[in-house]
Amino acid sequence: MAGALDFTPAIPLLPFASFLVALLAGYFAPKLLPKGGAIPGIVATAGSLVLSVWTFFAVSQGDYLSETLYTWVVGQDTFSLHFGVLVDPLAAMMLVIVSLVAFLVHVFSLGYMNDEGETGLPRYYAGLGLFTFSMLAFVVADNLLMAFMFFELVGLCSYLLIGFHFREQGPPSAAKKAFLVTRFGDYFFLIGVVAVFATFGTARFVATGDGAHAFPHMAEQALAAAGGEGTMPGPVADFLDVVGMSAQNWFSVVGLLVLGGVVGKSAQFPLHTWLPDAMEGPTPVSALIHAATMVAAGVYLVARMYGFYALLPTVLAIIALVGGFTALFAATMGVVKDELKQVLAYSTISQYGYMMLGLGTGGYIAATFHLMTHAFFKALLFLGAGSVIIAMHHNEDMWDMGGLREKMPVTYYTFLSGSLALAGIVPFAGFWSKDEILYEALIYGAGESPILLVAYAMGLLAVFFTGFYTFRMVFLTFHGDARSETAKDPHGVGWNVKFPLVVLGILAATVGLVNMTPVAKFTGAHIEFLKDWLAGTEGTAFSNLGYEHYHHLLVDFAGYGAADIAPYVPAAISLALALGGAGLAWVLYNVDEPVEHTEKLGGAKTVLYNNYYQDEYQVWLAEGVTLPLARAADAFDQGVVDGVVNGISSVSLFSGSRIRRIQSGVVSHYAAMLTLGLVALLVVFGVTGGWF
Amino acid sequence: MMIEALIGVTLLSAFVVMLAPDRVAGKLAAGLSLLPVAGSLWMFGQFDGSGNALFESGTLAFETMTRWITIGPYTLNWHVGIDGISMPLVVLSTILTTLAIMSAWTPIDERESQFYALMLFMEASLLGVFTALDFFVWFVFWEFVLVPMYFLIGIWGGPRRKYAAIKFFVYTNVASLVMFIGFMALVFGLDVNTMDMPAIAQAIEAGAFTTTYGLGEETLKVVAFFAMFFGFAVKVPTVPLHTWLPDAHVQAPTPASVMLAGVLLKMGTYALLRFNFTMLPGVASDYAVLIAALAVVSVIYGAMLALAQQDLKRIVAYSSVSSMGYVILGLVAYNVYGLGGATFQMVAHGLISGLMFMCVGVIYNTAHTRMVGDLSGIADKMPVTAAVFVAAAFGYMGLPLMAGFAGELFIFLGGFSAEFAYAQLFTALAMFGIVIVAGYLLFAMQRVLFGPFSADTDYDIVPASTHDTVPIVTLVLLVIVLGTVPELFYGMIQDAVTPMVDAMASAVAPVFGGELL
Repeated sequence: MAGALDFTPAIPLLPFASFLVALLAGYFAPKLLPKGGAIPGIVATAGSLVLSVWTFFAVSQGDYLSETLYTWVVGQDTFSLHFGVLVDPLAAMMLVIVSLVAFLVHVFSLGYMNDEGETGLPRYYAGLGLFTFSMLAFVVADNLLMAFMFFELVGLCSYLLIGFHFREQGPPSAAKKAFLVTRFGDYFFLIGVVAVFATFGTARFVATGDGAHAFPHMAEQALAAAGGEGTMPGPVADFLDVVGMSAQNWFSVVGLLVLGGVVGKSAQFPLHTWLPDAMEGPTPVSALIHAATMVAAGVYLVARMYGFYALLPTVLAIIALVGGFTALFAATMGVVKDELKQVLAYSTISQYGYMMLGLGTGGYIAATFHLMTHAFFKALLFLGAGSVIIAMHHNEDMWDMGGLREKMPVTYYTFLSGSLALAGIVPFAGFWSKDEILYEALIYGAGESPILLVAYAMGLLAVFFTGFYTFRMVFLTFHGDARSETAKDPHGVGWNVKFPLVVLGILAATVGLVNMTPVAKFTGAHIEFLKDWLAGTEGTAFSNLGYEHYHHLLVDFAGYGAADIAPYVPAAISLALALGGAGLAWVLYNVDEPVEHTEKLGGAKTVLYNNYYQDEYQVWLAEGVTLPLARAADAFDQGVVDGVVNGISSVSLFSGSRIRRIQSGVVSHYAAMLTLGLVALLVVFGVTGGWF
Repeated sequence: MMIEALIGVTLLSAFVVMLAPDRVAGKLAAGLSLLPVAGSLWMFGQFDGSGNALFESGTLAFETMTRWITIGPYTLNWHVGIDGISMPLVVLSTILTTLAIMSAWTPIDERESQFYALMLFMEASLLGVFTALDFFVWFVFWEFVLVPMYFLIGIWGGPRRKYAAIKFFVYTNVASLVMFIGFMALVFGLDVNTMDMPAIAQAIEAGAFTTTYGLGEETLKVVAFFAMFFGFAVKVPTVPLHTWLPDAHVQAPTPASVMLAGVLLKMGTYALLRFNFTMLPGVASDYAVLIAALAVVSVIYGAMLALAQQDLKRIVAYSSVSSMGYVILGLVAYNVYGLGGATFQMVAHGLISGLMFMCVGVIYNTAHTRMVGDLSGIADKMPVTAAVFVAAAFGYMGLPLMAGFAGELFIFLGGFSAEFAYAQLFTALAMFGIVIVAGYLLFAMQRVLFGPFSADTDYDIVPASTHDTVPIVTLVLLVIVLGTVPELFYGMIQDAVTPMVDAMASAVAPVFGGELL
């Protein structure tokens, strides 16, 4: 009997089929395409979901998979490039998350796109299908090159979907920005991929039986050899000679290069600027981008190759600091936004900052945990926002809302569940995961790596802002009096909107229970299920992908050591901060007729409204520096480089026209020239021959 | 005899089309040009060559070698054959010609029979360039290619067509002359009595010099190398020898641009690979840093120039300069991925740049303007063209699973593992081209294709006709197929470049163990 893992390749391929169906049928036979492509998409993602869950259960039985599916390039006397599938607990978990969110987004789109009478539906569903396919293929990638390729395709899909409303001014511009900014990050990523091949001769994440090597493991061996244990793998030693760097330094460079792609896609400072603009896309697309696909891809990549990063303390510290800073920085900007989706956009940046913080501080479990809980509550919040936007006839300004609580209870309560999770209020999902990230940062910071305490402090401070902006958003949208005509009489929403909300609302409330670390520590009960799930089994090729192994690397190579701090006090502090933020929002905005209060911020208000001028300087880099430079190059090219070419032709034409005058046709002139020429020759011979 | 048949049929088609009435010339030319397509695909299927054409160990497919004429002590042979490097280029030439002919149906409306005859004549010459293995035969074809292109630009071109055509002809012809002198200097110094390229390559490797004109063997090689490099670099074109290209492209009718960017530029890199890098690998390795610097400058400077343009055709023209810089980088890397990637990129860029030019042409056919500022939101009126344009642009940006990514990736992999000094740094710098290319193509698309519709032109923007969209859709599909299954070509390419790498490894010790930082 065929096992679940035999069908794993079908998980990404099903949405690809729905892409092809929507594309081809949409062009050749639009009438045959039910619901503009929604039905094939829903069927395909439902199929992916079923297969993912099946795969998940197979993995829980200890059944892992690493298999080469297709050799893209068969190297002659050099390495080959291939596509393969790697299914381990991390991938299996991510497959379920992605296919579930993609499925719910497809269903929701029925209400958001079809019922609202959008045009170009086949294009929309083709894009969604391709997006889901690319992300799922990225998740199961068994090597860094394949991961890069689908990472880029994810970028393409985001371009196509953010720019879906291409007839307007804003979306094409936002789409361009999203692709360009992430491409800038991917530039470094691609150098990293090439460097990994040049250094290790392979880009596999894990070595399987057939004599293949995995680059994280080779890096581990190389570093051990540099420390005097074992021998360095031959190719690595050769390449280190070429670049003339120590193993630790060179690997750190490579790690940082790959991280460039992560910073771009996961919208970390300073490449976060594309993400708020990307709100121009249809709301279900935002849900997909933020919760399960594009933005998640970056963090997932770090988790996927954690065996490499765990070796490099410098890179880890940078990851932690970038993450902590981004978490705080984005949270402060979220505080003053007026549009519902803008608040959510900055919250996404901030939350992914937490995940980076977790990964950098050695909290691998905590970060992947937050990746999961965030996927559910952020998808929920975006879909909830989509529901509100339908109700508000596509007005997104929170100051025109208010009082929607009574009008749309399903949306309200599910949104509230998501908000409690986002703010990190016990017992909702976000509390457990965010708290664990902060706890890990604290114990490793207080232990052997004090620099992490800086990241911890930023992350902790951000908790307050998160609580504040989240509940400011909730109160402005749902509480108080209706502040516009549409808010008084909102448009109703159908089952296709409510169903995804309810599913995600329940998950946002409960999914945190899978890894209640403080409770486990307190009661001694064995309830850290996620930790067990990701621990990794000893004795197989896959043990190198487990948390046990990563922890060992962190301690041995990165010098991480935990201080012995009980989790209760830190948890209480962060909960108190979250409640404090939420409470402040309650006081300020949970009134019948709220006012802005932003004047109290003084000069900071302008800075926050302008997002710390991050967009300005990046636009300046593009339009104020690069473009004039290009124009100068063009002027130089036309004037000097081509000028020389035209100059040479002018010189030949000019001299030609002058020399032509010698040909006067007068015989006596010719005779004179002959005589003069003879004399000149004689003189020359005389001088050189020594006659005089 | 297959190659002779291929060239002969194409040449015969050219004459038939020239005598046909204008009205049917386009359809007839497209139909007849399917014969070489079928022929080249059949040859591709039957290809049984192995190794490199210029090496003793190489076995050629479809080889013919007969004594042709004797001049003094030199015997000139009719020697043609195909190895793994030339096979993909032959297929590229035939397919692109057919599609370019189809793309001419709409814009070319005078002297059609002459136009299509010249296109076919050019195809025949190109096939000769890629298959000839005797220098004399090769040079004749090489120069023949210029003639039809000169007329295509000069007769059917834009307002400044005469300037562009003459500049193109004189520039590349002077370059050919320098190259010819350089190569002849080498041949006359060697102990050979033939112009046969494999024989010459093997004689150089054996060091069979009878005279070096008092220069010393190494100096002679260096002089010849750079004379040839100059000649071929103009064709590629490499900065700073590129200024004929934008003029030629902007003035040329679109189908001629397609051929120019798609195949003619590849003559330059093909010749660099065959002559400079196969025959004089030692010099290439000694001057690797210099050549790599030229490649990087071509990539970045070319891309910056593209960024400054407002004319869609100029954008694509300059971006060709940029993309061909990658090919030079791959060549100078001199390992399997580098050389193989360079060859693969020739084909990939041929398809993609041809596609881009066709897309611009389709827009121009209906809007009669190519200026970025004149058009906005035409995706609304020309959905299929816009969709293909987006696909083509992403192909140009090196989107994975499209051919351009494969070519560039191979080159980067090769460049990063190359052994000359600072190879990693040069490669990383050149790779920044992938960001700039995304910049100018995304900006252009945003403004021309998207946003609210407006067109500053007297013509109605209407959807392109089917015969305009068929070639571009076909090309997109080919680009995707080649990007998904690069082994189609890359297998035989690797097979042909591996002997070069092996020869280099045994002849030249890796001298540069330079440090990166």
